[in-house]
Order: sequence, then C-alpha cells, then structure tokens
Amino acid sequence: MECSFGLVGKGYTLIASDTNSARSIVKMKNDEDKIKVLTPHLCMAYSGEAGDTVQFAEYVERNLRLHQIRHYTELRPPSSAAWIRRVLADSLRSRKPYQVNLLLGGYDTSDDTPHLYWIDYLGTMAKVPFAAHGYGAYFALSTLDRYHDPTADLEQGLETLKRCIEEVQKRLIVGLPKWNVKIIDQDGVRELEI
Amino acid sequence: MTRLVQIEHALAAVSSGTTSLGIKASNGIVIATEKKSSSILVDDSMIEKVSIICPNIGIVYSGMGPDFRVLVAKARKSAQAYWKIYGEYPPTRVLTQEIATVMQEATQSGGVRPFGVSLLVAGYDTNRGPTLYQVDPSGSFWAWKASAIGKNMTNAKTFLEKRYNDDISLEDAIHTALLTLKEGFEGQMTEKTIEIGVVTVPAAAELVPEVGGRIKPSFRKLTEEEVRDYLAL
Amino acid sequence: MSIMSYNGGSVVAMVGKNCVAIASDLRLGSQALTVATDFQKIFPVTDRIFLGLPGLATDVLTLKERFRFRVNMYTIKEEREIEPETFAHLVSSTLYERRFGPYFVEPVIAGLGKDNKPFIAATDLIGCLTLPKDFAVSGTASDKMFGVAEGLWEPDLEPEDLFETISQTLMNAVDRDAYSGWGAIVHVITPDKVITRTLKSRMD
Repeated sequence: MECSFGLVGKGYTLIASDTNSARSIVKMKNDEDKIKVLTPHLCMAYSGEAGDTVQFAEYVERNLRLHQIRHYTELRPPSSAAWIRRVLADSLRSRKPYQVNLLLGGYDTSDDTPHLYWIDYLGTMAKVPFAAHGYGAYFALSTLDRYHDPTADLEQGLETLKRCIEEVQKRLIVGLPKWNVKIIDQDGVRELEI
Repeated sequence: MTRLVQIEHALAAVSSGTTSLGIKASNGIVIATEKKSSSILVDDSMIEKVSIICPNIGIVYSGMGPDFRVLVAKARKSAQAYWKIYGEYPPTRVLTQEIATVMQEATQSGGVRPFGVSLLVAGYDTNRGPTLYQVDPSGSFWAWKASAIGKNMTNAKTFLEKRYNDDISLEDAIHTALLTLKEGFEGQMTEKTIEIGVVTVPAAAELVPEVGGRIKPSFRKLTEEEVRDYLAL
Repeated sequence: MSIMSYNGGSVVAMVGKNCVAIASDLRLGSQALTVATDFQKIFPVTDRIFLGLPGLATDVLTLKERFRFRVNMYTIKEEREIEPETFAHLVSSTLYERRFGPYFVEPVIAGLGKDNKPFIAATDLIGCLTLPKDFAVSGTASDKMFGVAEGLWEPDLEPEDLFETISQTLMNAVDRDAYSGWGAIVHVITPDKVITRTLKSRMD
C-alpha cells in the first residue's frame, strides 16, 4: 500500500512519499525516508519490492555520483531519467528484474526548469506535470487533474499536494499518517514539513 | 616495424602473381586475369580466379590463390549477412570496406600473416552505379577508372593510361583489357588461359523484382565461348 | 490482460497520391489508468520516413533508441540515407533477432522512396513484414481502425484529403477504444515537406 506523489510548479518540483515500511500485515517502521537525494538538484521517490528498492536506489545514486566524479559535472535531469529508465528496461529482461517504481524530480540549473518523470519497473517513462504511484494514483490523479497548475507558487503547490494526501487518507482503507515531502528548486533539495 | 616488413612480403607475393586488371567503361566494368597452370596435367577448367561474391559484385586477384579463396568465402558470407538484415545485397563500397577490414586486421593481429593478395572489386549498386575498387594486403583501398595488379602491373598501367578515356564502351573495354593482358603474356592467350568478369548497368525496369522473384544479376562471368569470340576479333 | 495492451495506444498509416500519412494517439496508460496524454509513439527515421511503435511502452522507448542507433550507423557507413524498403527490412530483422523473447510492439512504417514512391509497411512483434498497398493499422484500436479505414480510404488522395481521411479513421476508432485516445498526432509526408498536426479529441 505504498504511495507517492509528484508535481511541478513555477520553478520547483515537489515529491511526496508515505513513510511506512511494512512486511505482510505488520507495520515495521513509520519513519522510513523513501526519497533518495541523487544529486544536488535531483531526487527520486522509490517504491516496490522490499530489498530491490533500496538496492536499486543506491545503485543509481552511486552511478550518478561516479558520473559527477568522472566528468566534473552532474548529469541533467532528462539524461539521468533516460539512464535510469534504461537500467530498468535492461533489468526487465534479466533473470531477476528490479521491481521498483520511481518518481524522479529534478531542477535543471542550466535552463532553470523543473522536471518530473514517472517511471515504472518495466522501464516505462513519461515526463509529466504531476504523477503518482501506488493505490494513491487512483485517488489523487483526478484531484491533480482538477487542481494542478504548473504556474502555481510554492504555497499553492503545497496546497494541492496536501489535497492529494488528504484524499488518500480519507478514502484509502489503509491509513498513511506520516508523509515525507521534498522540494527541488534552484537552491537544491530540501525537506518540507506539512 | 616487423609488421611493415610482413606487408612488404605480401606485396612481393602480389607482384610475382599473375597479372589482373579492371577497366571501368561508360556502361559497365570489365575485370580480367590470365590464369596459368604449372603443368599441362592440371585440369584448368576447375581453376577459378574471377569469383562472384553476390549478384551485383565480383572480384579478381593477383597473388596467393589459397588466401584469395579464404577472402572469397568471407566476402560471400558478409554479403549474405547484409542481405539478411536489409533484404538487399551490399553496395560495392560497403563490401569492399568489409573485405579491406578483414585484410587490415591480418596486419595487426597476433599469430597471423597478412593476406598475400591484391584484389580488384567490381560491382554495381543503385547508389553509386558501377564502381571498381582495388584492395591491397595492407587493407587500404581506392576506387579506380582502370587499374592493374600483379607481375606486369607497371607496364599494364602505363598501357591503360594511354588507352583509357572516359566514354569507352564496355565492348571496347573488354578488347582493351585483352590487349593489355597480351602485352606481358607468356604463351598462348586462349579461352582456357583467360578469365573475364563483367558488370553491366541494369535498366530501371530490371531493378524491380517480379513478385516472389529476384533481380537479374548485374555481375556475370563470361563463358569460355564468349571469351573465345572476343579473342577471335 | 495482454502485454500488448498494458499501456494502450494505436497507430495507422495510409498511402495517398505521391504522399503518405501516419498517425497515432497520445495516451500512455497503466492498464485502465491514464498516466500521460502526450506520449509520442511515432518517430522520425529520416526526413522522409516515420516509424510508429504501438505496444508495450518500455519497448517503444527502447526500440526508438535502437533504431536511431542502427539508422545512424547505416547513414555513416553507406554515406546515404536509408530507403523505406531497406528500413522495413531492418525493422523486421531487428525484431526477429529477439524471436524467443520479443519486444512487445507491432511497428508501422511510412515513407517516401525513390521518385517519391509512397511506401507503408507493418510487422508483427517478431518482425513478419506485410506490405499493404492501401493502409496499415496497429495497436489496441487496430480492429476498429480496420473497419473505419476500409470505409473511408480511397486511392490517390491528395495530402489534404489524406490528412482528413487518416484523422477521421484514427479518431473515430480510438474514441471507441478505452486504451487509446487522449489526443492524436498526424504526419503527412509529401515530396517537399512533412505536415505535422496535433489533434484535439475526446479527453475521456
């Protein structure tokens, strides 16, 4: 019952994820950070098969870091997304594919644009103005269809994000009380309290 | 440095081989060679020095016969591999490049020696039309209007330079080829001691295959009868 | 649930008089859930050839990259642009390479060849080529498109009429298909230019 949202506003990308870590019917932990900061202007919410998720996120993190070390420059969001997608697409046809779904939020400092990519474990990728993974998608996408505004300032953006979270908390049978929200803008990645 | 000497040896093998030549005409190409056997007891009808690689390309060589045979096998396989991907045979240049790469690799790999042959590759494709290439043991290749390789190449080239002009017809080119070969020929020039291959430019209609059919080959070898007729003239 | 219709999407190509057209919808779904409404399934190969790739979206993206690579290599090696017939064979052999673990796409190719000869082709997911002389359909609304195209298409349509025919064929078919729709894009390839238009359609 994992859930994550992302949306793009004026000069920023927001990414939110629940903080539950569950095994079967047991909640093991309720403060798990499932959004990895990949580079100063890129972060990734991950969900899916336990074990695969963290393994994959760290694999991506280390490779993007390696790229920075080798080339003295960070990979921009579209290129990062394309590389991550390719890893998943190749993995899909391997003996044991990574079962990880991703939301990739970034801010391109060279042309000052916010980016959001929806990527699933098959290696399907779409550049989107807003996105969701998990059961939350079935509740929140219509909320986002109605309220999302790509030119909204941060306050309005957070307002929309809160609407999505409230919608999930109200209608999804499983409670997701705590959420982890990160913003990516020209100043980099920060955590936000909601 | 050793490698360069090896190529020198290969070139020496080519220079001591029988003469071959190619002439590009306005409506096709002719490649020809003399074929000499060491003994009258050899069945020379079984010796093949002009080889068809694919329906649009043929090659002739000077130098070491066995090395040529290996290259022909590789070239034919490469042409079929190309056909399997693109549904058509390779353009002359692409095939030439492929052969040249094989020959170059023999100059740089361990445990092998360079191929002791020079080749003349003649072919037709819709992109460049009829084209004639020469490939050397080093793996370098050039396009020619007319060229000669082997024992008599220097004399033959001088002869060709005098006789060549841009609007020579294929028929005239075949005669020029025979005349050039005759210059340094030892013994009798007959249909048994000469091999000729020709590229003809197909008409536009011939390039469209019939349903389920094949395109007419644009490279073919002249039969002994045809060679005899050319020699008689 | 079939892999071929997991993401949804449809492509159609049609022959006109000295022109060809190729069109697709823009939906990307995850089964019944629509994820994006600007997902391109048609890609330029040369200035005169387009390739449509309906099917599993991950393979759409992977194959678009693979074909870009192989066509670039071809262009460099051969020092010329690839012809539609040759490209169709390349598509076919690339897919057949994966005969026993296929890419889940059924491509449609449209282009102008030598002397501006219209060319369309389609293959199944393992690269079996078909060369129709009228139109080619593929994707989750292919059965519907067959019906509409059969009724609307006629020989020797001029570019503008061909645009209308292919647009109506696509839109009327995808409107009846839950897995396709959410806007469309049409390319009409003529000897001197490519006309590209995005269409607004039912967004439900």
